[in-house]
Amino acid sequence: MELIQNLLANQLFFSVIMMAVGLGVIAGVSAPFAILFERKLSGWIQDRIGPNRVGPWGVLQPVADGVKFLMKEDITPAHVDKPVFIMAPFISMIVALIGFAVIPWAGEIHFPWMDEGATVRTQVANLNVGVLYMLSVASLGVYGVVLGAWASNNKYAFYGGIRATAQMISYEVPLGLGVLVVILIGGTLELDKIVYAQAQSGVWNIFLHPVAFVLVLTAAFAETNRTPFDLAEAEQELVGGYHTEYSAMKFAAFFLAEYSHMATNSALVIVLFLGGWAPLPFLSFWSPEHTWWNVGWLAALIKFGCFFGKIAAFLVFYIVIRWTVPRFRFDQLMRLAWKGMVPLAIGALVLQVLMTALGFIIRPERGFAGNLPTVLFALAGNAVLIGLAMFVTARSTREVTGRQDNLPAVGNRNANAKLSGIIQ
Amino acid sequence: MTLVLVGAVALFMALPSGGAASRRLPLIFLAGASGALLTIFFGSNADSFKGAWLTLLALIGVWGAVRVVTHSRPVYSALFFILVIISVVGLLAVLDAEFLAAAVLIIYAGAILVTYSFVIMLAQRSEAAPYDVNAREPFLGVLAGFVVIAAISTRVFTGAPPAAPDVESAQLAVGSVQNLGVQLLTRQVVAVEIAGVLLLAAMVGAIAIARRPAPTPERDRLESEGAL
Repeated sequence: MELIQNLLANQLFFSVIMMAVGLGVIAGVSAPFAILFERKLSGWIQDRIGPNRVGPWGVLQPVADGVKFLMKEDITPAHVDKPVFIMAPFISMIVALIGFAVIPWAGEIHFPWMDEGATVRTQVANLNVGVLYMLSVASLGVYGVVLGAWASNNKYAFYGGIRATAQMISYEVPLGLGVLVVILIGGTLELDKIVYAQAQSGVWNIFLHPVAFVLVLTAAFAETNRTPFDLAEAEQELVGGYHTEYSAMKFAAFFLAEYSHMATNSALVIVLFLGGWAPLPFLSFWSPEHTWWNVGWLAALIKFGCFFGKIAAFLVFYIVIRWTVPRFRFDQLMRLAWKGMVPLAIGALVLQVLMTALGFIIRPERGFAGNLPTVLFALAGNAVLIGLAMFVTARSTREVTGRQDNLPAVGNRNANAKLSGIIQ
Repeated sequence: MTLVLVGAVALFMALPSGGAASRRLPLIFLAGASGALLTIFFGSNADSFKGAWLTLLALIGVWGAVRVVTHSRPVYSALFFILVIISVVGLLAVLDAEFLAAAVLIIYAGAILVTYSFVIMLAQRSEAAPYDVNAREPFLGVLAGFVVIAAISTRVFTGAPPAAPDVESAQLAVGSVQNLGVQLLTRQVVAVEIAGVLLLAAMVGAIAIARRPAPTPERDRLESEGAL
């Protein structure tokens, strides 16, 4: 008993426990159930019932799927590059999971048997460059896809890989700029401090920078390779895209990586813009004092529940979006990133820089009412930004979305002219 | 000095046209030489726990770097380059330069090498190209590289120790992102601006090359026929 108490009081061991529990919960429970839920929700959206054969309400479907993945023959085609082919799905998986190391789940905990004032963080690693760590992990995410695509030695897979590379490099730019806005709000790179500031003031960053929020959310969608950004695995064009040649557990690793990625990215967006574990906006939920709410373990569980609830809501949002927005064409994808999101993100960044320069800085200890001028200024700035974007879009010439005019005309013009003459 | 010499000979033999019957032997020599060098270097001026990490990461990095130049398949070279980057990031992290570590990871591994491997994968044919099988100037390359290493290590081991930095500038140098930013925008501002202008010029150049109207034989033919 004493041993367990001591272990829980030690940050290193607590981190290890968090890691084991976190990975178990994320990879072992959430991802399979997210897949079940995705199938159920897809069914409802398409007016079907969805899986309902295995267990009541189909809840055992993930288990059945897992068993099936394990039992299936694991084919390694003869023409693949074997070491890279085997490595790729696990690179995907590892990269999707290590992002969790810096997510602050529930603030700090003070167990009753610990020394006065001592706490453990509910965060595996408290890096002082946590935000950058998340960004760098996100930027590594492309390797699993690209290597898998290349090693498959298959045209369709390779096209998928190429698309994924171009897409991820492009969408990292607005993601980075949007995250920079949040960094400037709080003046810190540590994720737990970003959450503390939001929880204490009640001003979630989404109320300051809704534009940046939408940009980061969109870029996060693109990073997970999900509809409408699933060009890398567009079934109608590329068979299965980068995972065409994969089967059994290696395919399952790609699949689980996608869902873990969704959860990681949702957690990042929640930490940056939606107050992390804070239950409600507008109210103060944190202060530096050692009260039961700030450091108690029961409160930590509640906070963790809030955080997890937000992630679940995000996953549902991801799934609904999948059946709402159709896939982009490649030129639309690139135009959205470079001509739409990057300028808007730079605009949001300039707005935040102006706010800092003019003294509209969030002071967490003043609460929501005390920061109202800053919030109003930021919202007005965002309205100006949106208005400016709409104005520019309205004034600019319409994009050529069909054939490019430097390509030859379709068919033979003379023939077309003759044909129309006959019809008339 | 001997170690550097052994390393140089081993790397020369390990290069694709070095003529070694088996590539394993020179690689082992090379690993031994670099390992000994690094152990002397890091073992001398760090506490043992950090020193062990530094040696391990440096060994991985050197091994990866050797494989970058000796591997005959470009994609694997790129992958080993990523390994080098990751071990360098590890070194920086052990040395408490966390911001630099994250920045190197984002810029090199996340952006530059993705583009690299992209290009290599696009350009690669099924059989190995002659320039992949044979190194172009193995002798001169190895000579130049190891003369630099010899010069640096001689300086490190025998030269006067660098002036001990005062505590204040040491605190400014590493770790704190704020201090790094202040340094960049006060003392290094010209360098930052020049780098920015350089990147802008590169971008303008890339766009200028990319925007050249595509040659369209079909259109030319139609125009010569008077169809357009």
